[in-house]
Amino acid sequence: MKSIIRNFKIFFLFSKFSLKSISQARLGIIFFMFGKILRFLMFFLFVFFLVSKTKILKGYNVNQAIFFYLTFNIIDTTTQLLFREVYRFRPLVVSGQLDTVLIKPFHPFLRILLGGVDFLDLLMLIPYLLLTLFFAFKIGSISTINLLFYFSLLINALIIATAFHVFVLALGTMTTEVDHTIMIYRDLISLGRFPMEIYQEPIRGIFTFIVPVGIMMSFPSKALFGLLSPPLILFSFLLSFILLTASMKLWALAIKKYQSWGG
Amino acid sequence: MKKCLEVFRITLGQYFAYRLNFILWRFRMILGLFIIYFLWQSVFEERESLFGYSKTQMLTYILLSSLISNFVLATRTVDVAGEILSGDIINYILKPISFFKYYLARDFTDKLLNIFFASIEILLIIILFKPPVFFQNNVSVYALFIIFIFLGTLISFFVNLSLSFIGFWSNEIWAPRFIYFILIFFLSGTYFPLDILPKPIYYFLLLTPFPYFYYLATKIYLQGISHNLFVGVLISLIWVYLSYNLAKFLWQKGLKSYSFFGR
Repeated sequence: MKSIIRNFKIFFLFSKFSLKSISQARLGIIFFMFGKILRFLMFFLFVFFLVSKTKILKGYNVNQAIFFYLTFNIIDTTTQLLFREVYRFRPLVVSGQLDTVLIKPFHPFLRILLGGVDFLDLLMLIPYLLLTLFFAFKIGSISTINLLFYFSLLINALIIATAFHVFVLALGTMTTEVDHTIMIYRDLISLGRFPMEIYQEPIRGIFTFIVPVGIMMSFPSKALFGLLSPPLILFSFLLSFILLTASMKLWALAIKKYQSWGG
Repeated sequence: MKKCLEVFRITLGQYFAYRLNFILWRFRMILGLFIIYFLWQSVFEERESLFGYSKTQMLTYILLSSLISNFVLATRTVDVAGEILSGDIINYILKPISFFKYYLARDFTDKLLNIFFASIEILLIIILFKPPVFFQNNVSVYALFIIFIFLGTLISFFVNLSLSFIGFWSNEIWAPRFIYFILIFFLSGTYFPLDILPKPIYYFLLLTPFPYFYYLATKIYLQGISHNLFVGVLISLIWVYLSYNLAKFLWQKGLKSYSFFGR
């Protein structure tokens, strides 16, 4: 318990530093916020415009299609909010400064994974949550158990996202390659903006179960609509557990092999 | 010309030295295309036509606009902003070649490589998923098609350079580019042909540079030559003129105000 409180204190300290550093570039904040809002609105209007016209997209009505998109945004934004520091990991590795993180008396993930909370994403998360709530009411007739599955699968998606980010950190430590890996992760999860049913096999199968974008982005909404069978829900939890364990093992291996780069 | 060819050769060499980077970049591009392609394919599964487009026309639009965008938007000018901030730009000013020509030659290498690989990828999509594809039989259409691609390429080059020249006055070089990418994504017709939008919005967009990157070239390929396309040629020529003069103005102003220590 004591160590958890200590870790939280360190996390909040890093978050405070991050907020201070973000607020140094006020013009950048305005531009980036504008860009994020613009991107969200344009996709939102596009999905709304398209599915309103077609009435149905692979069996989903306009409210459901938008709900998929909003759920994608919640998961993606929360992930970026928490793990923004991973995007800055490469300079730390190639300059040799990672050594100074590793010798500190706290878990390195507090610095290299969670050490750069993105407050711009925190601001974006508020309208996403409100809109999701609004569209959930519009969909209507949601049972308590499905709502429970929805939240569990949201957390499950965040666990898978954590595993992906730890994989990126491990790979970065071993090879110094971070930038492309993290951007590929972003592009992969972008496939989850729309229901996975739109993709043709074998693409759908690959991006649902092998690279579990579907489990991350589509399964929570499908569970809310009552379209996900219990075995698939169980499989999702099992997979996230396996992925997280595997990523931790890879990180342990990376650290064991690490001999410091640059300097 | 000889100097430009030499720049072309060196840039090509750099790409072959960092092969993995380029392969990962192409992988990201394919993922982006998958989203758009499968979205429209699933929309057209249950209907013959929508927004005045048949399935063949729409899927051809998506594949062809993606192919052209790989040529028109491919650029190395993104590096310029970083080179201004790091002081590396001084090396280019000292070179016995015009800076604009130097980057045009670099861009040309980038464009050729990207279109070469994009052609193979799109060919693979056609072979694997067998979408109906429209072939234009009217040879004269191809002449105008190439003119529009050429004009779009010039506009894109000068706008990209202008964005990078922001580095002469500000450290905030990524935020404006982030907004620019988002605008291109939606207003240039990456996700949908622009003429499916309500008419007032569509006509307004035709006054901006975005449709001239690749939307109009693709539209000409699909729908042939119409008399109002010459208005399009005129507006795109105006945008070439304006963007060139803006880039030139920013370059001259920027160089006058630029100073750098420590090199």
